Amino acid sequence: MPTDSRLTRRSPAAAVLKWVYVGVGLVVALVPIVWMVAGSFRTEQDLFGHPAGLIPHQWTLHGYEGVWDQLPFLRLLGNSVLFAGITTALTVLFDSMCAYALARLNFRGRDVAFWLVLVTLMVPFQVTLIPVFVELFHLGWLNTYQGLIVPRATSAFGIFLFRQFFVSIPRELDEAARIDGAGHFRIYWRGILPLAKPAIATVALLNFTNLWNDLLWPLVVSSSPDMQTLPAGLALFGGQHVTDHAVLLAGAVISLLPIAVAFFLAQRYFVAGISTSGLK
Amino acid sequence: MGPSLLILGVFVLWPIVRSLWYSLHDWTVGAAEQPWAGLGNYTKLLGDEQFRRALANTLIITAASTAVLVAVGLGLALALTSENVVTRVIRSAFFFPTVISLTTVGMVWRFLLDPDIGLVGGVTNALGLGAVNWLQSTALALPTVIFVNVWKNAGFVMIVLVAGLKAIPGEYYEAAALDGARRAQLLRYVTLPALRPTLLFVTFIVTIQSLQLFDLVYVMTGGGPLFHTDTLVTKLYRDGFVNYRTGYAAATSWVLFIVVVLVSALQLRIFRYNDAD
Amino acid sequence: MNNKRVLAALAASAAGLLLSACGGGGGDAGSGPVSLTVWTGFTGGDRPGYEQIVKDFTAAHPDIKVTMTVQPWDTIQQKLPSAWLTGQGPDIAAPSSDPNAIAQYVKTNSVLALTATGAGDDKINTDQFAPALVKEFTYNDKLYAVPANYATLSLYYNKKLFAAAGIGKPPATVAELQQDAAKLTTGGRYGLVLADNNTIQMWPVLQWLSGGDIVGADNCSVLSTPAGVASLQPWVDLVKNRKISPVGLTGAEADSIFSAGKAAMEINGPWAAPGYKSAGIDLGIATVPAGASGQPVTLGSTAPLAVSAKTKHPAQAQQFLAYWTSRTAQLKFSLSTGFPPLRTDLAGDAQLKADPTVSVFAGQVPNAKLYLPQVPNATQVDTDAYVPLIQKITRDGDVAGGTAAAAKQIDELTGCGK
Repeated sequence: MPTDSRLTRRSPAAAVLKWVYVGVGLVVALVPIVWMVAGSFRTEQDLFGHPAGLIPHQWTLHGYEGVWDQLPFLRLLGNSVLFAGITTALTVLFDSMCAYALARLNFRGRDVAFWLVLVTLMVPFQVTLIPVFVELFHLGWLNTYQGLIVPRATSAFGIFLFRQFFVSIPRELDEAARIDGAGHFRIYWRGILPLAKPAIATVALLNFTNLWNDLLWPLVVSSSPDMQTLPAGLALFGGQHVTDHAVLLAGAVISLLPIAVAFFLAQRYFVAGISTSGLK
Repeated sequence: MGPSLLILGVFVLWPIVRSLWYSLHDWTVGAAEQPWAGLGNYTKLLGDEQFRRALANTLIITAASTAVLVAVGLGLALALTSENVVTRVIRSAFFFPTVISLTTVGMVWRFLLDPDIGLVGGVTNALGLGAVNWLQSTALALPTVIFVNVWKNAGFVMIVLVAGLKAIPGEYYEAAALDGARRAQLLRYVTLPALRPTLLFVTFIVTIQSLQLFDLVYVMTGGGPLFHTDTLVTKLYRDGFVNYRTGYAAATSWVLFIVVVLVSALQLRIFRYNDAD
Repeated sequence: MNNKRVLAALAASAAGLLLSACGGGGGDAGSGPVSLTVWTGFTGGDRPGYEQIVKDFTAAHPDIKVTMTVQPWDTIQQKLPSAWLTGQGPDIAAPSSDPNAIAQYVKTNSVLALTATGAGDDKINTDQFAPALVKEFTYNDKLYAVPANYATLSLYYNKKLFAAAGIGKPPATVAELQQDAAKLTTGGRYGLVLADNNTIQMWPVLQWLSGGDIVGADNCSVLSTPAGVASLQPWVDLVKNRKISPVGLTGAEADSIFSAGKAAMEINGPWAAPGYKSAGIDLGIATVPAGASGQPVTLGSTAPLAVSAKTKHPAQAQQFLAYWTSRTAQLKFSLSTGFPPLRTDLAGDAQLKADPTVSVFAGQVPNAKLYLPQVPNATQVDTDAYVPLIQKITRDGDVAGGTAAAAKQIDELTGCGK
């Protein structure tokens, strides 16, 4: 029950304070994003001439034109969608399965397994970059879609989140299903997963976002221009002696749009409630 | 569970072990012979001023970010638990920065903080403070990085805490209220203890992320000015990929790994210990 | 129980790795067009110039197909060593925008020693290259890379701002440069905008103009000598006290400031000219002023273009390099990008002389010095010693102390005296 449906009265002063706090926070949170979008339409002179301004004084589309003209845009977009989309779907599947096992099954190495999963969160990608590349080479998976997708098809974060979620679902549900003769997989598939929509939405969104924005991984696996993703294409606009803010910002906005869409689709689920999770 | 463990095992755990192997050598990618270094890389690290500074910076960033994030996130969560359209929209708005890529966040804030073209500069100018060069000041750069880190993650922390708050059974509050508890006491004796597992989850994720901070720093300051925002990962990146000293970089990454493990263990200790009563 | 499954899975994958380990790599029985891949990091305004070279080569050689992939330099630096180690990398690559990076690849035997040198269009005409360039890429008496380009830095200046300050012509001596920079720092604008990191280096030029240098011929640092300190002090004063430039700028940021008309001068290369022109700057390009000794001097910058030691087509790869650096290709390249030619036999070319941009940069070629040429561990000297030095002394003004510390560091890195 929300702490808000108060049994003790809140003083008006406190209420004002609360809204000021939220208001300031909102401004701080959103203004940079607004600036980013507006900036993608501003000329360099405008940026230098009116730094305090939020709205463009001189509108221009050259940022977007630059991105569109200089990149094989649709192909990059397609590759990104393919990579992020398929891999996200796989992570949702594999992570939830693994989390189910960790939450529900009792077996000897369980804690060890859990800790191993956590350990993978503790090392940044730069560290494993070279060994993974060599592994992919030995597997013959460089420049292939399986090389791109399989190593990322599961995420420790997702496993962690799902596990927290599953642990809080009462076991009676399992019992009931088992009485009806269901095996583990059935319980997982029919019983638990449908309840896990908020968790699925959260994991799907966050993983999709990370994969969509991932610059380095696709470039490590493949340098072939056919398989390049959007961030790789956009990264070419920055350079040692290259700055055109509108183009860079336009690239950022374009890259953000699909995420924003995914965000709005998914947010009903988790904003309302990673709730029933009772994260334990 | 098989597929997950297999993938993680092959593509993450084994490479981690490999990098330990590299760290015990003066490893250079492509060299015909890799001279054994034993613990030489590690002892060199201890004498490396850049490393000590990076370690200090990383710990400061992590501690400060976590503390501020929990405070800010909790404040927002407490303020936004009701279920109505307005609150939901506001919560979404706060959560949005989290889904923007770190490189974009770094880039946009870098522009914003630029004294010549940035909004922040414009605002401080208007306030009569002049244009402060936030990211180039050896004193201000680190707090600025912390601020941006908080900016990006506050929404995430808030959302998770909201979920945790909603899971607290109403009866707890009713019971306490019956005993005549006031708001502050409710917060301290009912809410916070009940929120403990969620707080643990959130601080866990946030500290691990902050300890590994790279993209944000790399894009905003490159570790500068004068290494004042250098983190362990920007340092190991520089060693490994700019100066081609793979073994040395691997050693740094193992130190980072140990730090992360220690910090995580510490957190578990704190939270579980309190749990015991 | 699951524990055993995990172990089994790991064992299986390990076995799989061992089995497939380098069993692959069937030779290709080269009949049919040869395919070459090239990686470069040239993302700037000069990019079309390189793409044109690739196009022209492919058109002229129907049996060789060349694909060039452009990626950010950081990415190349991260991937290339492993890529070349496993034979998975490109046949040809520019490993870095830093010419000294090639030393690392030579050390690990990742690059091919170029043997197809000599006269004629199919060979790499090394005796026509600017001599400094050949030396730069020669290790152990073997040539390991060709210059992908050659740029000199010139003095860009904003004619409008000069006129407004009443300065009739660009500075011709270092003293005038210092005076003008100070005079032009007014009204919220900077006299001479300087970048100190992530840039083609500008500060060495300032030092050379004022009679100092970074390392000497024996690779020992000369920063802390009286001459070295004297070459830095006036500039540090100008930056710190007269505020002729902000501190800590990257190359891109410095360019931005000049583009926006907020700086009167910048020392930069030919790649910047198109951008400045399209930004509407009333642009002037002058040769870098004469130094204290009366001699003009500037920085020359180049990037290596090398062949993988594991390439399957060494002959064709070298043919490509030969074409890249050939007279025809370079003439075309210079005219389209404004870069000076890297070949000495183009120095007198009428077309190039007539081009206003190229002629300024080309005119500086004889006086151009490379940054840390063939200095051991040059990259580290740059990131760990020189760049931090500049960043430090432009903030705290302690030139003596800063240079002493930097000199020590540099000597350790270069193995001075050994």
